[in-house]
Amino acid sequence: MSRWRVRIVTVFSALLGLLWIGCLSWAIVDYYHGEASGVEDLSAQPIEKRPDEFIVVALGDSLTRGTGDETGKGYVGTVTEELEKKFDHPITVQNLGIKGLVSAQLAEQVQEREVKRQLQRADAILVTIGGNDLFQKGETLLNLDSTKVSKLQKNYLVHLDAILSTIRQNNSSAQLFMLGLYNPFIELDENGELNAIVRQWNNETAEVLAKYEDMVFVPTFDLFQLSVNEYLYSDKFHPNSAGYRLMAERIAPLIEWEAKDDE
Amino acid sequence: MSNLIQNEMMKLLAKKRLLIIGVIVAVLIILFTYAQYKQAEEQREKLGTDDWRTAVQQQIIDIQNRLSSSRMLDEWREQLQVTVKQQQYYLDHNINPSEPGAATFTRMFIENASSLFIPLLVMIVASDLVSSESSQGTIKLLLTRPVLRWKILMSKYITLLLSISIIVAMTGVLAYALSGVVFGYHGWNAPIITGFTVEAGNVDTSGVRLISQWQLLLMDFGLVWYIAVVVGTLAFMLSVLIRSTPAGMGIMLAALISGAILNNMVSSWESAKYFFMVNLQLTNYLSGVAPPIEGMTLLSSVLILFVWWLAALIVSFIVFIRKDVY
Repeated sequence: MSRWRVRIVTVFSALLGLLWIGCLSWAIVDYYHGEASGVEDLSAQPIEKRPDEFIVVALGDSLTRGTGDETGKGYVGTVTEELEKKFDHPITVQNLGIKGLVSAQLAEQVQEREVKRQLQRADAILVTIGGNDLFQKGETLLNLDSTKVSKLQKNYLVHLDAILSTIRQNNSSAQLFMLGLYNPFIELDENGELNAIVRQWNNETAEVLAKYEDMVFVPTFDLFQLSVNEYLYSDKFHPNSAGYRLMAERIAPLIEWEAKDDE
Repeated sequence: MSNLIQNEMMKLLAKKRLLIIGVIVAVLIILFTYAQYKQAEEQREKLGTDDWRTAVQQQIIDIQNRLSSSRMLDEWREQLQVTVKQQQYYLDHNINPSEPGAATFTRMFIENASSLFIPLLVMIVASDLVSSESSQGTIKLLLTRPVLRWKILMSKYITLLLSISIIVAMTGVLAYALSGVVFGYHGWNAPIITGFTVEAGNVDTSGVRLISQWQLLLMDFGLVWYIAVVVGTLAFMLSVLIRSTPAGMGIMLAALISGAILNNMVSSWESAKYFFMVNLQLTNYLSGVAPPIEGMTLLSSVLILFVWWLAALIVSFIVFIRKDVY
């Protein structure tokens, strides 16, 4: 090892050491004395979308997320598969579902800038919401109180209207499909009281949807009405794979790709 | 003194330690680059787009779903909430939190390597600087020369500092050079948001500002160098105290690994913040990750590490000067 090589390495590493000391002091000084300049908004986000793209945006609660489905797909996953078969073309799905979401939270979520941008790109929008508003993790069932339920329903309908109008403001053409509620507690519901509540809830939901163009209410009550246990997950609340498949099979045929049909 | 340092440097270079470290770093970086590439590819496939906003939005949704599960420790919940808020902030301001490119890879690598990997590399050099001389008996030759003992130890310590500087620089250069092959050599000027402060699970965005990635990178390197110096000095002290190199390495290794574990579970044990190994994640303060124990700040961590460093240095010198060599 020649002497000058050792010397070069020594001097070089000493310089590096000085550099790192400088960086260290900079880091500490900057951390405590850096000017908070804030962050300005950088330009509006462009909506980029390829013409051959079909985009599905799914919004809502655990049903959108697919809770209870052992395969993890949920109805959104199955709808996607069905559509890919039907269109013979890959489609893009944005699943924005969050477990436990209530209508008030969804109304906030659709106000988020990025969510709006996603909605603007969408060709079809799938929504499930309201289950947590009504059932409140089973609490509603324990003490059925009609005044309380009607209050829940009133709040829900206001939020739903806000959600739908936000969606329409951002996307005037996408088809929207909203799944109605089923009654997971149908077997415990001997005098049909809860059935009546769910039915009315669904009717009111359909009424709100009817105010907007190209919004479709997709009932699920009947799917689960006769053999609820066969289609429910072990938590007796969420659908299982078979239940999700039933829901998906109902929606998938309704979705059309107009641009592609024009070709 | 200069000659002593030259002499030590010569020994170090002759042992080819730095070369070995370079090879280890290179192999790891290649592995991580490949892993990252695979992950990005899978994500692109899953989301059907390479739009980063879609990816970040999906990350936020995923975390929110995890948050909605009721069986979760409060501290994890807080940590996740902080992450969501930061991601949302990036998204709202249209800034990509991980702009693809070699510069981002280098930053991520160095941030993740700061508390375990780089200290381990430093130990390869530090733990036998003195003890190898003891075990091989060459220490007698060294001490019989007409030089004060503290000067000998000082020359060894300075050599350690120099090699740490090289190791840190080498890691950075290799990370950039190797990952750039896959990710492209760019990203230096990507905007990064810094100045998030986390208090009681809340993110305070009043102090945020935009800096370029190269600035954050240099700051990160400064902090990583400091961590490496503190750990290196501790290993150096053990090398003076214990004649056996493996024993010294074992102790350091145990300390570092226990630090990595403790970080995940000390939040309720407040006095643990005086351990050096809990304070090694300095770069987290810059990126706004909540510290493992409430109340820890960049300054407190730096000071605690400084105290450990000073104590180790004093102990090393006192012991080395007074030690009987036989």
